[in-house]
Amino acid sequence: MDLTRRQLLWAGAALTAATVLTACGSGGDAEPNGSADDTSAKPRKGGTLRVGALGRASAVTRDPHGTQSNESDYLILSLVHDALTVPGAKPNTAPRLAASWEPSADLKTWKFKLAKGAKFHDGSPVTAKDVVFSLKRLRATPAGASRLPGIQAKNITAQGTDTVVLVSDYANAELPLLTRLTTFVVPDGTSDEDIAKAPGTGPFKLDWFRGGNARLVRNDSWHGGTVYLDAIEVKIFESPQAMANALLAGQIDLASNAGAIAARTAKTRKDIQTVRRPNDMAMPIVMRTADGPFADTKVREALRLAVDREAMVKQVLSGYGTVANDILGTGDPAYAKSITQRTRDLAKARQLLKEAGFDTSRTYELMTTEDISGLAESATLFATQVREAGVKVKVVKQESAVFWDKTWLKGDLYTSYWGTNDSVVFFASKTMVSDSGQNEAGWQDTAFDTAYEKAIGTSDDARRTQLLREMQQIEYDSSGYLLWGMADGVDLAAAKVRGLPTLPGYGRVQLETAWLTS
Amino acid sequence: MADQLIPDLEEPTSLSAVPAEERSARSPVARIAARAGLVVLKRSVLLATLLAVVFIGVELLPGDAASATSERGESTADVDRRRETLGLDRPVLERFWDWMSGLPTGDLGTSAQGEHVTGLLTSAFPNTLVLSGSALLLTAALSLSLASGAALRPGGRLDRIVTGMSTAVFAVPEFVVAVVLVLVLSLWTGWLPAVTLTDGDGSPASWTMLVLPALALTVPQTGWNTRIARAALADEARAPYVEAAVLDGLSPRRVVLLHVLPGALPTIATGLATSSGVLLGGAVAVETIFNHPGIGAVLASAIADRDTPVIAGVTVLAGAAISVVLLMADLLRDLLTVGQR
Repeated sequence: MDLTRRQLLWAGAALTAATVLTACGSGGDAEPNGSADDTSAKPRKGGTLRVGALGRASAVTRDPHGTQSNESDYLILSLVHDALTVPGAKPNTAPRLAASWEPSADLKTWKFKLAKGAKFHDGSPVTAKDVVFSLKRLRATPAGASRLPGIQAKNITAQGTDTVVLVSDYANAELPLLTRLTTFVVPDGTSDEDIAKAPGTGPFKLDWFRGGNARLVRNDSWHGGTVYLDAIEVKIFESPQAMANALLAGQIDLASNAGAIAARTAKTRKDIQTVRRPNDMAMPIVMRTADGPFADTKVREALRLAVDREAMVKQVLSGYGTVANDILGTGDPAYAKSITQRTRDLAKARQLLKEAGFDTSRTYELMTTEDISGLAESATLFATQVREAGVKVKVVKQESAVFWDKTWLKGDLYTSYWGTNDSVVFFASKTMVSDSGQNEAGWQDTAFDTAYEKAIGTSDDARRTQLLREMQQIEYDSSGYLLWGMADGVDLAAAKVRGLPTLPGYGRVQLETAWLTS
Repeated sequence: MADQLIPDLEEPTSLSAVPAEERSARSPVARIAARAGLVVLKRSVLLATLLAVVFIGVELLPGDAASATSERGESTADVDRRRETLGLDRPVLERFWDWMSGLPTGDLGTSAQGEHVTGLLTSAFPNTLVLSGSALLLTAALSLSLASGAALRPGGRLDRIVTGMSTAVFAVPEFVVAVVLVLVLSLWTGWLPAVTLTDGDGSPASWTMLVLPALALTVPQTGWNTRIARAALADEARAPYVEAAVLDGLSPRRVVLLHVLPGALPTIATGLATSSGVLLGGAVAVETIFNHPGIGAVLASAIADRDTPVIAGVTVLAGAAISVVLLMADLLRDLLTVGQR
C-alpha cells in the first residue's frame, strides 16, 4: 500500500518536474521534433546504441519461451533469437527465419520454408529439427496453448531439413501471424539449464547479460540483411520517468516505449526526437453483455454515444493517439474504414437508456488498475463524461493482481488493454467468438461466429475482406467493447539515431535497422 | 519493510539485567563477546519470526505468484499447473519450513520466474549496501560537523540555523529531494548523471552515479541525526568535567572536540544505527527514481508479484545488515563506557 502511495506521489512530483522543465524550455513547441524516418541520409555502419527498456529486476527471465513480462527481456531475446515471422506494415506479417510459407487448400496445413543460409551464432546451420524442437518447447509452456492456438505438439513436424509443417485443428488463414510472437528458435535439444546460454540466429549476439542489462554485438553472418550497429546495450529501467531522465541527460540514446508523459516532458528539447508508432495500444472499456446492467445492446450503444472520444485522446493520451470506432484491430490492413465514425450524441444516448429502461438512479462501478499509464485516468474521464448522459459511474482502482484475479473476464464494467495490436481476426479469436478463452465481455453472437469461421477458412482475398467487413460491422453494432481511441507507442531518441522502427506492438523491438549518424 | 526491523532501540538497557558483580568479574573482551553472542541469538529469533510474518503476510494478500505472473492468454488450468510447479498448492507452513531449511546453506529458493533468488540478490544487494553505506557515512560526517559547529556557540546564529533547518529538512521525503536533485544537478546543469547505469559486472558504471541517490537519502537523515547529536552534545555540556574544562580556560573548540563529543558519541551512534534501517527503507523509493540496481527495485516488484521467496530473501539480507549495524552501535557504546562502569 505504501508503495502505491509513494508511486503516486512520485508521479505527481514527476509531473511537476515536467511542468518546470517545460516552463524553462525555449517555447515554441509547435516545431516538430526530428523525424525517425528521415531517409535522406545514407545508413552508416558502426557505433553502439544504448537503449533503455522497461522491466522489473525481480521478473527478469532468460528463457526465450518463458513469461516475458519485461520489455527489456523481450527486446534482448528478439535481437538474439529470430522468430519465424515478424510484424510488417503491409501485409502485417513479414518473413524472418521463415523465408516463405504456404497453406494447404483447406487452410489447416501450413508449410514454413526456412531462410537460406540461416546459422546459429556458433556457426551451425539452422534446420527444421531445431525449429520443431523450439516450437514444441514453446507449446509445452503454461501459456503454450494460447501462444500457438489450435496447434498440438504432435502436429509440429519437420519435412526435410528446411521445411516445418504445422497442422492446425481448424482452418486458420492467419496462422503465420501467430508465429510472429515468441517463436524464438534455439538449437535442438537445448536443456532448460543451458537455455540462457543457447546461441540464437538473430541479428545480434549476446556479449554479456547481468540483471536485465545486456550488451549485444553485431552478428556479421546474419541471414536477414545488413546490420549497421556495432553493438546494442540494453539498460533495464523500473520507471518510465527514470528512463526519460536518462535520455535527457544523454546517458542513453533511445528510450523504448517511454510513453506520452515522458514525451511531453521531452517536447521542448530540440535534440530529442519523438517516434510515434500508431495503433500501438488499445484501452477499451469492457461492458458485460452476458448478464448484468449492460446486457441490453441499447445500453451499450448509449455509453458508446456518451463518450467524448476526442477529449479522451487529448487528455488521457496527451494527444499521442487517435480516435477509434469500437472495433479492435485498427492496425489491420483489412480494418473497415468505411464504417461511420461514432461521435458524441448525448440526446440519443439518453433516449436509448430510457428505451432500455436503464436504472439511472443507481451508481455503477467501473473497475480499473494502474498497470499501464493512462488506464485509470481513462476510467475517471469516462465516468465524468457519461454522467452528462445521466449514468452515474464510480471508478474503483484495484491492485493489479486483484484485478486480473477477480474482475477480468467477470466484471460488468471494467477497463482492459491490449498491447498486441494484431488484426481483426486476432482479437475476434481471442476475445469475441463465443468459445474464446478470454471473452472479456461474455459476448456470444452466432452471426459473428459464423462470419469469423468463414473468414479464417477463406483464402480468397476479396471474399475474405468482405467477411472481415461483416465481422467488424457486427462488432461495431453490438459487441461488449467501447474502444474510444488507440494510444500511440512513443519512443524517445537522441538526434543521432536513425532507422528506428515505426510499427506498433512488437514492431518496436526490430532495432536491426537502426543506425547512428557520426 | 525495513522500518519494522528496528524496534529494539532500547536493547542496550536490557543487558543491565546481568548482575553487576558478574559483569565486573569478566574481562571487557569476554563480556563484549558474550553480549554479542546473546544479541545475535536474539536477533536470529526475531528474524525467524519476521520471516514467518512475511510468508503469512504474502499469503493473506489477494492473488498469488502463479496468477500475478501469468500471461494474459493462460487458462485457469494453465495457472493451476504453474501453481503446482511453484509449489504454491502446498500449505504455507510447509513452504515456510522448506525455505527456512535451505537458509543455512545460503539457498534462498527460486523466484516465480524460475530464477535463483540468491543470484537475483547477489548483484543487487552490494549495490544497496554501497548506496546506504555511503549515505550513512555522509550523514555521520555532516550531522557531526553541523551539530559540533552549532554546539560551539549555543544559542548563536549557526546554532539557530542548524536547529531550525534540521527539522525542516527531516520533514522532506526522500523522493522530493531526489526530484529536485535530478532537476538541478543533472538536467539543468549537466554536472552529474541522472540515473545509474550498470556495467557488465552488475555495479554502477561510474562512482558519480552514486552521488545523487546517496544525497537524496542523506539529506533527510542528516536532519534527524543533527537534532540527536545537538541534543546529546547539549546534555554532555552540562557534565561537571566539561564545566571544569571550561573553567580551566580551554578554547571552545577543544572543549567540544575533546570533552563533550566523546561522551555524546554513544547516543549519536545509536541515532545513526537507527538511520541505517530508515536508509535501507528509503532505498526502495530512491532506487526506483535513480534506477539504482539494488534490492529496493527487486523488492517492490516482488511484492507486486507475490513472490514470497524473493521478499523473504530481501528481508533476510536487510535484517542481517541492520542487525550488524545495531550490534556495532551497541559494542561502540560498550567500549566507550567501559571506563565508566
